[in-house]
Amino acid sequence: MTKSINRRGFIRTGLTGAAGMVAFTPSLIASTYKEKEIIYRTLGKTGMKVPVISFGVMRADNPNLCKAAFENGITFFDTANGYQNGNNEIMLGNLLKDYPRDSFYLATKVRPNGVDKEGKPTSETTSEGFLEKFNESMFRLKLDYVDILYVHALQDPELLESKPVLKAIKKLKKDGRIKFAGFSTHRNEAACINAAADTDNWDVILTAYNFIKDDISELKSAIRKANKKGIGIVAMKTMAGGGFFDKEKTQPINTTAALKWALSNTDISTTIPGMTDFDQLDLNVKILTDISLTEEEKNDLVVPAAITGLYCNGCSKCIPACPMNLPVPDLMRAYMYAHGYSDPAMAQSLLSELGTNDNPCKECDECKVECSKNFSIKEKITDISRLVNVPADFLT
Amino acid sequence: MVFFFGSASAQEFAFPELDGFKKITNYPVFYPDNLWDFINGAAETYLAYGFINLHVAEYKKGKNVIKIELYHHKNNTLAFGIYSTERSPSFRFMNLGAQGYVVDGSINFFKGNYYVKIRTFSKSEKILRSTESLALRVSNMLGGNSEMPSGLSQFPEGGKKVNEETYINESVLGHKFLNKAYKATYEVGPDKFSIYIFNNDSLQEAWKSAENYLEVTGIEALESASGKYVLSDKYNGSIFLAWKDNILVLISGLSKDQTELANKYSSEILK
Repeated sequence: MTKSINRRGFIRTGLTGAAGMVAFTPSLIASTYKEKEIIYRTLGKTGMKVPVISFGVMRADNPNLCKAAFENGITFFDTANGYQNGNNEIMLGNLLKDYPRDSFYLATKVRPNGVDKEGKPTSETTSEGFLEKFNESMFRLKLDYVDILYVHALQDPELLESKPVLKAIKKLKKDGRIKFAGFSTHRNEAACINAAADTDNWDVILTAYNFIKDDISELKSAIRKANKKGIGIVAMKTMAGGGFFDKEKTQPINTTAALKWALSNTDISTTIPGMTDFDQLDLNVKILTDISLTEEEKNDLVVPAAITGLYCNGCSKCIPACPMNLPVPDLMRAYMYAHGYSDPAMAQSLLSELGTNDNPCKECDECKVECSKNFSIKEKITDISRLVNVPADFLT
Repeated sequence: MVFFFGSASAQEFAFPELDGFKKITNYPVFYPDNLWDFINGAAETYLAYGFINLHVAEYKKGKNVIKIELYHHKNNTLAFGIYSTERSPSFRFMNLGAQGYVVDGSINFFKGNYYVKIRTFSKSEKILRSTESLALRVSNMLGGNSEMPSGLSQFPEGGKKVNEETYINESVLGHKFLNKAYKATYEVGPDKFSIYIFNNDSLQEAWKSAENYLEVTGIEALESASGKYVLSDKYNGSIFLAWKDNILVLISGLSKDQTELANKYSSEILK
């Protein structure tokens, strides 16, 4: 390593390691990763050969990170119309315009207008609105077509049947502006996937899928059913939210293990972990060529006992069972805020919003709710509802 | 109606009335653990900017709907940060809160610790004016700082591109050891480059970041109160690194021979 001090005072290093910015050429693609070693899976009947690790771009704002990912064999990018108010698609569009179009796959997502809080379409859900957003995305991405267009964030199967949305998708396929159509879901996933598998309208499904999910058996069955129909499955939220078991971020999740766990299901073609730094990229690139889960990695995925009893998975099976019609999942969240996050003020705020009294379970001698996580519902509600009577300034 | 600033309780947020519109406030309050339920994958960015909670309301008049989202973040810098990730210099900017803009039926602004997003899909001029009216009213009701973050004034003006400044809370230039920087982009003649300013709490913190960066690019250096280096970052190209006391400056986008230009800007920031 040599150093020289120029007359302006900056010390220049003679060490470059790999060269800085390298002009990108197609010939560089083949030489920067070993194509034979990367594990690819076919994305259902689309025939797309995708690497097992793809790139969830939603937080990335550094094109050099996306470029490095590409040069290491991560050639499938996932974005959305709504990410960073369009800046995410713009960043990708500026980067990818210099790449041969057949060297990468790109998926984006559009949320239909007029979808209500429960995820159902309304009279405001129109083909025109959907197409307008899609056109906006294509302008930003500077592409003639996208490989996959997802209907963004499905939570109610009724949206799958929306005639305006289906009409828009049909037109886009006919015009060659999308190759394949799908939807993303991270709520009520099994029901949405099962419903999709009963139709012929969908080519790909992007679903939340991770080692912490309590309804995993149901979800796996739905995925298997969809896969048998030729629907390609992409996994997201594989870190179960944030990369840590706890809110204080003292118990990190082994992200490599989490991704490998997801890929151990061969019905999953690829995953789209979000990446914001090169360390994360380096870890994920290693998985491209080795998805075998070691015993140590399996052990790392055992949820700490202190956490197990805190997280309601929001399956909502409890709601119809409660004779008092209590918002049980929300009350469990309040419990988690107090005992998991150590934030009783947040818990109290939620209880206030829910209009909870200081003993909502008093009418019932015996709890009729059977929780899929075997939570003692009455015990937790009785415990947390005491906060209602605590003056707010005691908790801040 | 009185609007209280800074509380996480849903009861203390009273969205204003809007003439001719029916106000609907039956949305839950969203917190970090369920923000995904409302804005899906976009939640990841908000969470990275110290998101605390979100209040949502709708205003309906016939078929026309105006939706307002009030994002509460940990501090003003982070509120600016999330606002800055979603703005574009091509938008029509307005004097709203600390800054706001209008684009395609959306009005977004930030003020104090809040990032406010208001949206209508209606193309009617009357409805769009109502949207602006709502934005003004909410801005006036919100407490907190209505100035742009003071950190932005550190950037030299010459060649700076307007309304492209951002605040990056984590992983600046894709490096985990570089966090919490303001970024501005520049165009000086044919040269396009970016400047990152890190206002650390101490010299030790600034040195720590500098040392980490020097180390990954293969440079050994002794701790000092100031320094200037040209690095070859294998991902980001040539980087000019300078620090003095608690302030660290990075410049990317220039070639390694452009020390004069880099020195001009870094010296002005570190004087």
